[in-house]
Amino acid sequence: MKIIKKNVFEGLVDELIENDEREIIGVQSKDSKYVFDRLEKAEGLELDYDVTILPPKKYFMPQRETLVEYETREGLEMEPVNEVIPRIIIGIHPYDLEAIKQMDKVFADSPKDSNYLEKRENSVLIGVNMQQTSDWSFAGSMGTATVDDGYDLMLTDLGKKYAVEIGSSKGSDLLEKISEDVRDASPEEIDKVEKAKEEIKDEFDKELDFSPQKLPSLLADTYDQDDFWEENAEDCYSCGTCNIVCPTCYCFDVQDFSDISLEEGERMRQWDGCMLEAFAEVAGGENFREERAERYRHRYMRKGRYLYNRFGDIACVGCGRCSSQCVPDIADPTDIFNKLWRGKDE
Amino acid sequence: MKPEERPKAAFFDFAGCEGDQLQVANLEEKILDLLNIVELVSFREVMTEHSDDYDVAFIEGSITNSHDAERLNGIRENADVLVAIGACATIGGINSIRNVQDFEKVQERVYGDEREHYEAWEKAKPAKAVVEVDYEVHGCPIDREEFLHVVQSVVMGREPNIPDHPVCVECKLNENVCAFERDEFCVGPVTRAGCDSCCVNEGAICWGCRGLIDNPNEEAHEEVLEEYGLTAEEVIKKFDLYFAWQQEAREDE
Repeated sequence: MKIIKKNVFEGLVDELIENDEREIIGVQSKDSKYVFDRLEKAEGLELDYDVTILPPKKYFMPQRETLVEYETREGLEMEPVNEVIPRIIIGIHPYDLEAIKQMDKVFADSPKDSNYLEKRENSVLIGVNMQQTSDWSFAGSMGTATVDDGYDLMLTDLGKKYAVEIGSSKGSDLLEKISEDVRDASPEEIDKVEKAKEEIKDEFDKELDFSPQKLPSLLADTYDQDDFWEENAEDCYSCGTCNIVCPTCYCFDVQDFSDISLEEGERMRQWDGCMLEAFAEVAGGENFREERAERYRHRYMRKGRYLYNRFGDIACVGCGRCSSQCVPDIADPTDIFNKLWRGKDE
Repeated sequence: MKPEERPKAAFFDFAGCEGDQLQVANLEEKILDLLNIVELVSFREVMTEHSDDYDVAFIEGSITNSHDAERLNGIRENADVLVAIGACATIGGINSIRNVQDFEKVQERVYGDEREHYEAWEKAKPAKAVVEVDYEVHGCPIDREEFLHVVQSVVMGREPNIPDHPVCVECKLNENVCAFERDEFCVGPVTRAGCDSCCVNEGAICWGCRGLIDNPNEEAHEEVLEEYGLTAEEVIKKFDLYFAWQQEAREDE
């Protein structure tokens, strides 16, 4: 563990903004909320934040992305496209680092998604331990309030200085630039960081009443409780907000957009969501999840069971974005999972 | 596409502000690209010539009296493809605010003492309530890019990509702070996306100009609006600005 003064860190960030070829991204305020966005100056950084509107996955899998450009002037010609902008992303909370780790597995699975992977490889992740929690977060229950890896550098606020944990050489290379101002942490400072990490785990208002490891079997057992799913989905808008703000939702739709000349165009992908009515519609008009309740159930199944069965991860990291941004307030995973847990023996 | 293969296109306006045709006129240099795939034979806003020999008819404005209906029927008979453009033509638009008001008062407000000389329906209607419509370009006003996309789809004979999900999708993709979190109220959760949430991006709210999605959860949204402190009357007003004709049509189904 290393120690740097806050003003040194800010100086490093300004230096990177000024001279590094990479784009420097950081958490900043937007009205009353926070977002990851391009940093103009280090003083714009807001590292003491609750949660951002969208997770940082947007830098590896943009909301809208061109995959192929084509033209038809002399037969069909196609070129794959992957616009990779190398980036340093500052201020990622532990639950989002866990989500990125999960997404890395998903996109590296066969067939590999080079559009995601190349962007990911060209990114440096600077995490920050939480000082405050979102009212809707339950990362303490999901084991994602802190992480041991998944970052290149990890910051912990110690008043006028940051404790910095090094996760990779990409991270330590950054510290090289300010090596004269970096020192080893003292045993007391290490204790302080450990204590801060322990304490944050109890700071969450929302909790899961049981171990998340029990979710796959709980959800398998409750899949057929149609009344439960219908009742809870009654007020669902099918607006997909819970999908889009989720750090572990990765579904997308691919469409071709031809230029008005009809001689060239692009194949694009855009984030999609399983709560949207057309999501499971196929050619011929058949829709495999036509009912609101079926889609509503699917999201919980996917977070707590389906992705666990494929990749071994409980795909909810407890960030609380879905529930905090759901207008009719029906998307709180702790509410649904706890209700299922309490009702399982009835 | 060879010039002689281009379908002939004509624009027609009914009750409306012609803002949608203005959007087309405002395509500027892209209007030349448009002319590569259609031949314009009638478009009052940009040309003086007129011809009744056309394949594709673009209809702007809502249908508000029997004279309109007769004219629209004639256009339908004449055209192979009929495209409604803009909220007035696709969902009745703001003309349909009158559909939920006292008709005599409406007439009096507009025509005063002369009202008996003007024949008008009690309810303003979109084109599809009178004739069969093949394609729709939603919005008030329409989005130019979407207009081009639909024209292309007409020419290519394919289904255009018109979203059937709420504006919330685009609002979240654009990482807007939700209107409800700004203590404002919005009909985005029941309104068809495709506008790239342009109003909310600018700090406003969604008024619903693209109309309801095919399967909106209006009941949930009414409950939500009331929970956020709107009275039942205010909730109805929120829905009446653009949705009056659609809501009545849904009730009749």
